[in-house]
Amino acid sequence: MTAENKPRIGVYICHCGENIAGAVNVEEVRKFAEKLPDVVVARDYLFMCSDPGQEIIKEDIRKGLVNRVVVAACTPRTHEPIFRKACEDAGLNKYYFEMANIRDQCSWAHWHEKEKATEKAKLLVAAAVAKARLLEPLEDRYIELNKDVMVLGGGIAGIFAALDLANAGFKVYLVEKLPSIGGNMAKLDKTFPTNDCSACILTPLMVEVANHPNVELITYAEVESVDGTVGNFKVKVRKKQTYVDWNKCTGCGACLNVCPPKARVPDEYNEGLNMRGAIYIAFPQAVPKKAVIDPDACIRCSGRWFGEEPRKTKDGKPILAPCEKVCPTGACSRDEPRDPNGELIELNVGSIVVATGYRVMDKKHFKEYAPDSPNVITALQMERLISATGPTEGKLIVPSDIPKYLEWKKKIEKGKEAELEARKPHVITFVSCVGSRDERYHTYCSKVCCMYMLKQAMLLKEKYPDLEIYISFIDVRTPGKDFDEYYMRCRKLGIKIIKGKIGGVQRLPDERLLVKGYDAELGKPVELISDIVVLATAMEPNMDLKELARKLGISVGAEGFLKERHTKLYPVDTMTEGIFICGCAQGPKDIPDSVAQAKAAAASAMSLLAPGKMKVEPLISEVDQEKCIGCGICENLCPYGAITLVEVNGARKSKINETLCKGCGVCAAACPSKAITLHGFTYEQVLAQIRTIAAKKVVEV
Amino acid sequence: MELAEEGVPPVINLTEVAEREKEEFEEKVSKLIIEFGAENLMACMQCGACASICPLARTGFEWYNKKLIKAILVGMREELLDDMTPWACVACNRCTEICPRNVTPFEVMLAMRRLMVEDFALPTLTIEGLRSLYEHGHAVYMTGREARKKVGLPEKPPTTDSDEKALQELKTILKNTKLAELGLIPMG
Repeated sequence: MTAENKPRIGVYICHCGENIAGAVNVEEVRKFAEKLPDVVVARDYLFMCSDPGQEIIKEDIRKGLVNRVVVAACTPRTHEPIFRKACEDAGLNKYYFEMANIRDQCSWAHWHEKEKATEKAKLLVAAAVAKARLLEPLEDRYIELNKDVMVLGGGIAGIFAALDLANAGFKVYLVEKLPSIGGNMAKLDKTFPTNDCSACILTPLMVEVANHPNVELITYAEVESVDGTVGNFKVKVRKKQTYVDWNKCTGCGACLNVCPPKARVPDEYNEGLNMRGAIYIAFPQAVPKKAVIDPDACIRCSGRWFGEEPRKTKDGKPILAPCEKVCPTGACSRDEPRDPNGELIELNVGSIVVATGYRVMDKKHFKEYAPDSPNVITALQMERLISATGPTEGKLIVPSDIPKYLEWKKKIEKGKEAELEARKPHVITFVSCVGSRDERYHTYCSKVCCMYMLKQAMLLKEKYPDLEIYISFIDVRTPGKDFDEYYMRCRKLGIKIIKGKIGGVQRLPDERLLVKGYDAELGKPVELISDIVVLATAMEPNMDLKELARKLGISVGAEGFLKERHTKLYPVDTMTEGIFICGCAQGPKDIPDSVAQAKAAAASAMSLLAPGKMKVEPLISEVDQEKCIGCGICENLCPYGAITLVEVNGARKSKINETLCKGCGVCAAACPSKAITLHGFTYEQVLAQIRTIAAKKVVEV
Repeated sequence: MELAEEGVPPVINLTEVAEREKEEFEEKVSKLIIEFGAENLMACMQCGACASICPLARTGFEWYNKKLIKAILVGMREELLDDMTPWACVACNRCTEICPRNVTPFEVMLAMRRLMVEDFALPTLTIEGLRSLYEHGHAVYMTGREARKKVGLPEKPPTTDSDEKALQELKTILKNTKLAELGLIPMG
């Protein structure tokens, strides 16, 4: 070591206001530090991270007084980058910096033991100095970033994230699980707090994103696997088999009506209130408007499946399935075989935005609310019932009479005269917090139910003023812009509030429902007979969200929604760099919040990718292949798949991919031949720290 | 005081309440209360601020302001007619001053009294008071005229009671109110 490079350590101790100085005798620590080997100066200051505090350090570096810096202050998690930058600005390699955490790990933890806290602070400073003597200069690395982005989920959040990215010039792959984008919002009739028609504000956006030159729309597809890291993700996407040639399908809908009754299954778009055929288009405003065949529902009318020879009539003509026969473009042809597994494609992207949304909890779980009654429905079913695109074209009838309505409609369409005998409801009751705020199901509040119950009640009451509407609330939660005013509008319309959760619903022989509740405002049990009971069932994570999170290497919270990196400061980031989350996949939220979060996620992805390259800390592992014995322990342990065994001169040797290595140090700790060095945390440095602390202990004993 | 709970069943059947309101009455009770002066009735969100300072609530009356408003909002009427609470209101007006929604609960109390009078659901004491008001210009008539004489005061106080012209004017006014229409007291 040259004299020039001989360590001249400066120790800078922060009071952190009272946070440290309140428990640690800073002056005592400073005097102690001054006497440590290679320390040339020890100073203290009220807030070391403030501008004047940093200036103290910079000045000492500039004057050539110090060439190693130890700051004893708070946590390196937030403040190490700040002090490293100060070192760099003053002309010192920023890896000649070491931090001792004497706040979170000392003063805060030992607030009531001031003397011991001071002694511990001394030890931590001594350990940091011991390491600082052995620090080596390191250089930052840069990795190239792929600027394409994948957005998972084509609901309102995914659409906005994709549009913002595409408008900023980024290529976007928008991947949607269902045949059409639109998500749950496409099922809504109107949206609070302005009562805009959902379709009117959503469908233009669906068209815009689908036609955007920077967006490649991939619907009816799911993520199979994700490899790689930030800037260089390799995503395998499985495009599900549509059984309809989408290049030929024009979305004319001719096939929809010929699918036989036996092949009909509950229509997902109408939340099961009516049936759809095995061949179906998701909904009339679907984007893309293409048909798919549900192979589980299809009864193989013509007796053949795709690629099989058709049976022949007596005069030798092929017998075709009705959908095949009626299709004007040949999109439904069964002549060619089709792979039931669809097609696997691989896409390379720099960042991924997850916006896979939520699902509405089913009513079947709630035996206390007579789920077997067709007139007990979920709020999303109510949306379909009052929607002009719903099973009754928005005509309000009791759900148990929907079959009557459909029969009547069929007759009318055939030009027959018929009287509609469906019963109209006189009383509708809304039940809040069904499955939310309930230890048996979900402990969280689903956040939007209060508002959508009010919305549905308002829409109904405005259209049918004679309707008696009751809403039960445990308490009314309307914390949003214009939300409480919306609630007051409902009150003034004469919608009746039962303050308390409905405890039971009983199905009556005439398909009406006896509702039992307790009104805290009257201080009495109440009961009433209702024609329809609407359950505000919880928003819950999609069934496959956990699996998707596993593929992406991001985590889910205890409640099952995707977990953000930090609730307040990094609400759309995840613990995996380059993967962002937004919308209801992160937790229940309304449309304004979903859109805001989507735009935040898009902006985060943009600021990450826009520079085209990313600085990476050099604190990663390196293999000394001379020492490596090729045992492969490190390869199995590496959580990032960064280590492979390669052949070098006929021997197996470990090799670390610098781009993938995150510097966790597992390999270095496990290597039996000490062939792996984790830069910034070398054996010598770590041992020096441990021995310093241990030695002090020994002295004390 | 009558038992406040009389007339109110242990379980309130909202369907019956609503049906009775529709079938037996021309107007909803809430609409009548609004017409009788509590214009902002529907804005009540049942926060309970009015009840927290209401002397009626604090002395154990059952249908104090907040609860009365809720009962009206769900359409209860018959159940409340036998209740004495509105007649016990001391008109302190604190409820109106504290209300964050300008519901004017005091006006609701007064409106409820008007509704009760229309149904002849009022305490005998109130009829006495009205009779006295009509005859003497005082709802609570002064006793102890002997004492007045003893100390040399005129038998009647120098109010409407002793002013024949004023008393006739008052009677004319009262004859032109709903009171005459209802025939609660003789108005000769």
